[in-house]
Amino acid sequence: MNSSSKSYGLIAEFTTAADILHAAQKVRDAGFSRWDVFTPFPIHGMDGAMGIRNSRVGWFSFLGGATGYTSGMLMVWYMNAYDYPIVIGGKPMFSPFYPFIPCFELTILLGAFGAVLGMMFLNRLPRLHHPLLKNRRFAQATHDKFFLVIECDDPKYSEIVTRKLLEATGSQHIELVED
Amino acid sequence: MSTLSHSGGLPPLDLSRWSKVPGLLIGAGVVLCLIGALLNLKQFGYSWLLAFMFYLSLVLGSAFLVMMHHLFDASWSVGIRRFCEHLACLAFPWMAILFLPIALLAPKIYPWMSLDPAQDHDLAAKWPLFTKPGFYLAAVLCFGAWALFTSRLRYWSLKQDEDGAARCTYKLRFHSSWGIAAFAFTLTLAAIMWMKALQHQWFSTMYGVYYFAGSVWVALATAYAIAMILDRQGLIRDIMGAEQYYFLGSLMFAFTVFSAYIHFSQYFVIWNANMPEETFWYVLREKGSWFAVGLVLIFGHFLVPFLALLRINVKLMFKFMLPLCAWIGLMQYVDLSFNIMPVLHPNGVALQWVWLDAGCLALMGGVLAKVFVRDLNRHPAYPVKDPRLAEAMGLYPEVPKAMAEEELTQTGKLSGAQPHSRGGGR
Repeated sequence: MNSSSKSYGLIAEFTTAADILHAAQKVRDAGFSRWDVFTPFPIHGMDGAMGIRNSRVGWFSFLGGATGYTSGMLMVWYMNAYDYPIVIGGKPMFSPFYPFIPCFELTILLGAFGAVLGMMFLNRLPRLHHPLLKNRRFAQATHDKFFLVIECDDPKYSEIVTRKLLEATGSQHIELVED
Repeated sequence: MSTLSHSGGLPPLDLSRWSKVPGLLIGAGVVLCLIGALLNLKQFGYSWLLAFMFYLSLVLGSAFLVMMHHLFDASWSVGIRRFCEHLACLAFPWMAILFLPIALLAPKIYPWMSLDPAQDHDLAAKWPLFTKPGFYLAAVLCFGAWALFTSRLRYWSLKQDEDGAARCTYKLRFHSSWGIAAFAFTLTLAAIMWMKALQHQWFSTMYGVYYFAGSVWVALATAYAIAMILDRQGLIRDIMGAEQYYFLGSLMFAFTVFSAYIHFSQYFVIWNANMPEETFWYVLREKGSWFAVGLVLIFGHFLVPFLALLRINVKLMFKFMLPLCAWIGLMQYVDLSFNIMPVLHPNGVALQWVWLDAGCLALMGGVLAKVFVRDLNRHPAYPVKDPRLAEAMGLYPEVPKAMAEEELTQTGKLSGAQPHSRGGGR
């Protein structure tokens, strides 16, 4: 580890989508956990090449949706059957049918909130700064270059061995990024 | 992609001992149907109608999947297209032949046929559709339309297997475009004339969509199951990857929600308006054990498949999806039974006639399975010259990184565009 300033990670540059796909497979097989790939466009099969498992965002939207449905039912029951009972059109004070539409809407609303907030939570967003943004070459990730970054925090990380691994994947340019 | 596929190198199953099943089903079905028809002709008519509407939903749903493939110019559904064409082609002549007992027993099945329109306002209001000529003309119209578009869709598809001509794709798109409109009209007409007419006083504008939602739902489940089997046998292995199964599973999920949405909306509108001329349909279906069947539908038709299909990875699990596909078939049958049977048995499910229901189901299933397997063996298992075949297989043609100077001038000529003012130079 650097003594003066902490390093963020090793960045490797690639010129084609195929190269970075194969590099990602090698890094995955080497057992790294804290690493990522940055490409100008989505690459088919990258999830598999990186060994990314199913996203956990679904659980957040499921919880949000379930909360929305239950709170909708409780709200209508509380207002119409408990707090201020009113007979409307000869209908029962409470029935699972007529509150269904607001419940449905609340399911969608809170499900969407769950998905967005869960995504931000899992991605640790919002974030005002990222060390990679200081790297001048990294700007090419939005144009025609492909980048693979392995973070120094990875338990398998070692500057010499990891650099060798990245060299073996055929990267043209490898650089240590400062934090 | 192939690493996620179900078949994943498993050896083909030995299906030879299953080849006798359709024959056995037909044999058992004929015996049970004959006994049933002799014991109680009206009950036989209802049981036959139930089985007929069940298989009709599968056949029409498959036709819908084929037409959607052409209308959206899809690439993922190339692998399931051919056997869906075979399923759709069961509509004529086979479903038409199986309709004959209904046509003959119609005066026994449909109470409105023995009523006088002068005495019955509900019947008079539906003149001339609800007359005997109207009934039989509607059937002729439905089977005529189905015969035309299903046969055209398979004819041009098989033609393309031979020559690979683009003309076939254009023809298929043409027949899908008018076919989808005819499909919507005839499916609604069939659902009204053959199912809703059991209680002719009733009206619901959602009824056609209700039948459509269940049809596509059960067709998707069947397509998934057949695709899994053909994949395992190595017949369509190259074009069925994880993506294709995922899309099929997603559509199954979508139609689970869609059919629940339609069922609920129909119920909700009638429940909320609370008018006797509409509510009697549901009041009848809340009597006796039909109430329990209604609950089975809420949980089994919607909640179980909904929760089961929520997760992304279960849509790719063979062992999970096969039982679910069978469950979806069962629920579609229970749903149709909930629509048809309470008219004959208002006090509850007639368990003493279950054997006759099963007999009709077995006889029709055996006949249709025999025809389907015959068609499947006769033709290639997937459209071998479909223009989107390579895409469906996950193969993308190599994109040239740079073009030679000559090629650039040639492409200019090919497109018929004016050459650049700056000439060939860059």
